[in-house]
Amino acid sequence: MIPTFSEALYELCGFARVACDAALVMALEVDEEGRAIPVASSPPHHFTGFNLDKSGIFETGWSYLPLAADSFRLPTAVVHALPDRPASLLFVPAPVDHAPNSGLLLFWTTIPAPAPLVQHIPLLASSVANTLMTRREAARQMAMRDQFNDLLDSVPSGIVLFDGDGQSAVINKRAADLLAAVPGPHRARDLAAPMRALRARCDNHAALDTAYAAHVGNVDYAVSMHWIVGERTYDVDTHPVSGDGQHGRIWLFTDVTAELQLSARLRGLADSDSLTGLSNRRYFEQRSAQIITAAHSDGRGIAVLMVDVDHFKQINDTYGHPVGDEVLKAVATRCRGALREQDLLARFGGEEFVVLLATSGDDEAGLVAERLRQAIARVPITVGDVDISVSVSIGAATRNALDGDGRDVVQALVTRADSALYDAKRAGRNRVRLSASA
Amino acid sequence: MSWFETLRGRRTGTGNPTLVLSHGFGTDQDAWTSLRPWFEARFDVVSFDLAGCGPMGAESYDFERHGSMFGYADDLVELMDELGLQRCTYVGHSMSCMIGAAAASARPDLFERMVMIGASPRYLNDADYVGGFEQENLDQLFESMAANYQAWVAGFAPIVVGVDDREAIADFSRTLFQMRPDIALNTSRTIFESDMRQAVLRVTTPVHLIQTSADIAVPIQVGEWLAGAIPNASLDIIDAAGHLPHMTAPAEVIRILERHLG
Repeated sequence: MIPTFSEALYELCGFARVACDAALVMALEVDEEGRAIPVASSPPHHFTGFNLDKSGIFETGWSYLPLAADSFRLPTAVVHALPDRPASLLFVPAPVDHAPNSGLLLFWTTIPAPAPLVQHIPLLASSVANTLMTRREAARQMAMRDQFNDLLDSVPSGIVLFDGDGQSAVINKRAADLLAAVPGPHRARDLAAPMRALRARCDNHAALDTAYAAHVGNVDYAVSMHWIVGERTYDVDTHPVSGDGQHGRIWLFTDVTAELQLSARLRGLADSDSLTGLSNRRYFEQRSAQIITAAHSDGRGIAVLMVDVDHFKQINDTYGHPVGDEVLKAVATRCRGALREQDLLARFGGEEFVVLLATSGDDEAGLVAERLRQAIARVPITVGDVDISVSVSIGAATRNALDGDGRDVVQALVTRADSALYDAKRAGRNRVRLSASA
Repeated sequence: MSWFETLRGRRTGTGNPTLVLSHGFGTDQDAWTSLRPWFEARFDVVSFDLAGCGPMGAESYDFERHGSMFGYADDLVELMDELGLQRCTYVGHSMSCMIGAAAASARPDLFERMVMIGASPRYLNDADYVGGFEQENLDQLFESMAANYQAWVAGFAPIVVGVDDREAIADFSRTLFQMRPDIALNTSRTIFESDMRQAVLRVTTPVHLIQTSADIAVPIQVGEWLAGAIPNASLDIIDAAGHLPHMTAPAEVIRILERHLG
């Protein structure tokens, strides 16, 4: 497109040169500071930019009469483009918005016998200005297209952009990798199959199909969904874009795998006890409500075990706090090993642990508690080169009939298990006590 | 800011006729340090940094304007007009030889006589013309400059200096490193892809050409071509090596200057 407009300017320069018998005619785009870009010339010549700020050209009132060249300071490139030293010149201003000093510059190497057509040369000004404008606009659009493509590929998301005409689409590098296609422009219909194939590959494709089906027929829908493709999760955002007043659509694929992993880790940190790595009280309270609801729907009972390390203060006093910490970690590990995957174990604080179980019979809590007690007491815990005999006392509370708010249920069970624990301590420690059923 | 300031102009010396010093690619006006006392004793000396060179090179350089040797020639003319100079003696090295030629043929009033050290109007070989380089040599040069400028300088500097002169190699490397790599690359493209043979033919100012007998950038044939093409030219081929004799063989250069400018 740009060469076309430059060609028109070359033609104009050529016409002016022949009509006026000039040695050189240049079409120049010149800004306020006098920075000149030679857009075309006749004879054709390759110029780089120069500055006409101090040339004296713009301070001169031009009619159609050429003036003597020696009263102007001309760029060396222009002098060298002439077959001989310049004798006279004529400037025809053709101002355009972005370059108010633009125009045609004509040179003669001899003082011309005024060619009859020279006086008509200013008539070319508006054609020159129009062509400079159109050329500039074409250049701007080309630059914008280049910029758009650079932008498209610098965004850290896959982008699929469907034009409003429904015919064309463009995808960037990242989207192309996802869709196993080539980056750049595509026919819209050629992208439909790869998009469907990608969705079909998702682990959650059934849920996605349902979610998107709800929007069929709505051109304005905007949805953000997680597409789980193997080990990666993409946040896929789609919304309408208006191009030329039509309904275009953009799909943005942002890989959020690392983000999700990080937030899961942070959540884990907030929910866990830093010494033992077990869940903390906060998480226990939050999670227990869910377990109760699940147990309720299965028709199972629940039980709470309160576990307390016997004579822990004495261990700390004898061996020091670092050893005490190691003992707590070992107790936590042994408890975890004695429980089932689905049982909830948390450190409640200090040397106190709590277990929440879904149970299927009255005696199950007692059996689990006894297993726990034995797991701790059977073999001394080795820290460094000392073996420390450790035992725990356990209070257990069970509830079969489930009703009311989950949180209250747990609260009541914890209170009952606590008093059973108190009984176990009083009865001589290293033993299990069951709370009487409520 | 005036051109004189923009190009870090310096005006020194105790003599009367004005002499303008213009350095070559990859150096700055410090390249004249060894010759400067000789000039200052005899002339009113004007020196400056070419656009793109020296500590303010990035500010003075314009990728459009300095995309041809004529942009530098315009700089020279503007600077000389600004100082009101006329009929000067001009000493240029390397790319500044053709800058001077372009300026002198457009504005003969500014120059009385010229000395060109290591001049070449065209680096590419052509039919009936030996420039010393083939296009593939240049492509390789530009490619390695673009790929790793530091590494390129380390290899380029000793070859261009051409003699085992550690100080000169260090000085040349320092000023090359001082250039912004994109400007250095664009400048070397402008130089190596230039063809100033037409401009040279129009020089009416007397020119004395100096070159060494072994210069990687400028074969002896180039000096001979220039001596034949410039209407009023003489040529001295000095028995030294390298592209920077004003830095590596100043005594030899002064001996010639004594004869032509003394």
